Amino acid sequence: MLRAGRLLFIKDLRVLGRSRGLLAILIGYPIVIAVLLAIALSGGDAKPSVAFVNLDAQSGRTVQVGDERLSVDDYANRLGEVVNLVRVDAQQATEALGDGKVSAVLTIPEGFVSDLQTGIRSPVITLQTNPRSPIEAQAIERRLEAMVFRLNQALAGAYVGQVLNLVDLIKNGGNVALFGQTGTLAGLKSSQQTIRDMQRALRAAGKPEEAAKAASLLDFITGVGENLDLAKPAAKAIASPIRLDVKAGAPGREPLSALGIAGALVVGLGLVSVLLSAALLSAEREDGVLSRLGRGLVSPGSIIAQKAVVSAAAALVVGMVLLGVVAVSTSVTVGRWGIWVIALLVAGLAFGAFGLLIGALARETRTALLAGLMISLPLAVVALIPGSDVAYWASAVAGFGPAARVFQQVLVDPEVTTSLWSGIGLLALIAIAYGVIARFVLARRMHT
Amino acid sequence: MRGDALLTARGIARRYGSFEALAPVDLAISRGERIALIGPNGAGKTTLLSILAGVGVASAGSIEWAGGPALAVGWVPQRPALYPRLTARENLRLFAGLESAADPRAVADGLIERADLGKVADRPASALSTGTLQRLNLAIALAGQPALLLLDEPTGTLSPDQRHRLWNWITEMVADGDMALVFSTQSIDEASRSADRIVTLVGGQLRMDGTLDDLIRAAGTDPSGPAAGETAFMALVGDDQ
Repeated sequence: MLRAGRLLFIKDLRVLGRSRGLLAILIGYPIVIAVLLAIALSGGDAKPSVAFVNLDAQSGRTVQVGDERLSVDDYANRLGEVVNLVRVDAQQATEALGDGKVSAVLTIPEGFVSDLQTGIRSPVITLQTNPRSPIEAQAIERRLEAMVFRLNQALAGAYVGQVLNLVDLIKNGGNVALFGQTGTLAGLKSSQQTIRDMQRALRAAGKPEEAAKAASLLDFITGVGENLDLAKPAAKAIASPIRLDVKAGAPGREPLSALGIAGALVVGLGLVSVLLSAALLSAEREDGVLSRLGRGLVSPGSIIAQKAVVSAAAALVVGMVLLGVVAVSTSVTVGRWGIWVIALLVAGLAFGAFGLLIGALARETRTALLAGLMISLPLAVVALIPGSDVAYWASAVAGFGPAARVFQQVLVDPEVTTSLWSGIGLLALIAIAYGVIARFVLARRMHT
Repeated sequence: MRGDALLTARGIARRYGSFEALAPVDLAISRGERIALIGPNGAGKTTLLSILAGVGVASAGSIEWAGGPALAVGWVPQRPALYPRLTARENLRLFAGLESAADPRAVADGLIERADLGKVADRPASALSTGTLQRLNLAIALAGQPALLLLDEPTGTLSPDQRHRLWNWITEMVADGDMALVFSTQSIDEASRSADRIVTLVGGQLRMDGTLDDLIRAAGTDPSGPAAGETAFMALVGDDQ
């Protein structure tokens, strides 16, 4: 029976090689879908559009914060790093939000710059989100909160810098420009020197008692100076009580990239393997050959095993091509090619066995292909819903869920874990289960 | 042409639920014998042939092969059963390989010559004419050097000219050796010319097993009239035709 399986394997490769149209559809279509899906998933962090309404535009004022002069536009530009700001007036913003053209409206209030400048009260910017898109609204909220926090931190740092400059001014004296006021300040050191000069002058004038009275004033100035020295680190700590130190990780381990690549692989391999095995088996029936093979030339089990091997080989080739493209054209580290070979082959067997069941049930190749596509595509998409056990087990029906997890684990986990082997084992079980069912269905087809 | 017994089928029957496709049939086949299964559509011809070929499953009955285990059977389904994208030569090599031929290439080359397929041997089967395709279909069945050749309406889709040439070729193929031949047909003329025994099936029941003369006698029609065989067959089949 091994010989028969080998002969049919060679025959299938030969037939596929001559069916270029079918081959192009079977291999090309899933790869195109997979690449598009990968692009879509990887582009999931694209900036959402937010309407930007500036009610403080007429003031045209800027605020000096430390060495920096900040306008509303500068502030907007910084917020624009996390969202795509669409500058409109209030009415246009309301309409755009209602039409779904923007995901939220960000409003800068009147007197924003003035409030920043005086520092008497905190200016309040308003974010109005679309209740029909709660998930997107949450994402925008989080992004803007993070950005406002960073800007607040920068502003706080600048304000503290200004306060420290003032401390220096009090200690050393000089010109002052604060909250719109200007003037000249004597400073503690200069005041101390002036008092000492006055003491010397009083002693020279024969008034030592009067000079001694100024000693307490000198002690006070020295004490104030020492305390102001302590104020510097305390002010810095207040400006940034907790600092976040962000370090870039190793390239290619980003969860979103892993999800995109795993998604591309699941869709690509899933469709190739399911459609190929379904088409190959149903073609045997359509060509009328099953009755000839069923005379005992080949057992149903051998036919199923042989077709499953073809689909696993196709999965390996398609998977390696996709991973090769990822490795060459992106900075993502694919790594561990040995594990990939095992994962792709076992996933190919599971998908292939599922396709064989469809092929055994269908009367015609066209029906098998259509049924394979209609069943596989939604299951592959459901498998890509992250963090949902229901989606995982629903798509596990045809091996898509476990395959997606296995592929993500190979991409993300630096170690080969027990969980990874469990996933591969589950795929093998799925392959065996569908293979056995398909074998019985085929046996009934062969012996009517 | 009758030789030693080849197989004996006893009480072969096939039911699909409550529908009886084939009532219990007894049939003995000898080496070198040529048997025509004749009957209208739905008579049970294909069902009986497929059970004898080992493709169909009998609901009841048994098949006993003379001298022990089943011998090689050549099965020619009504529709060509081959791979249209493979060439005639590749199809023959593949099936010779599946039939466990020691040298599939030599078997294929021999069949190409015997079936006069030399000129089209390297063309895809899908590009062959209906008559040539049926010849290839038959040649594939011979790849396992069968003791029994079963043909399901082999000329059903052919023109009269193609039928004539195909039967000449079949006769040539089975002339040597003691291969038995069982074929189904709806033509009494084809049956009387190519078989030495006619088995008539009607509505899944064996109505008559014998020669053409036996059939005419059983029908009770005029043996000397024009198209006596056809008339007798029509009378035997009655409303089932």
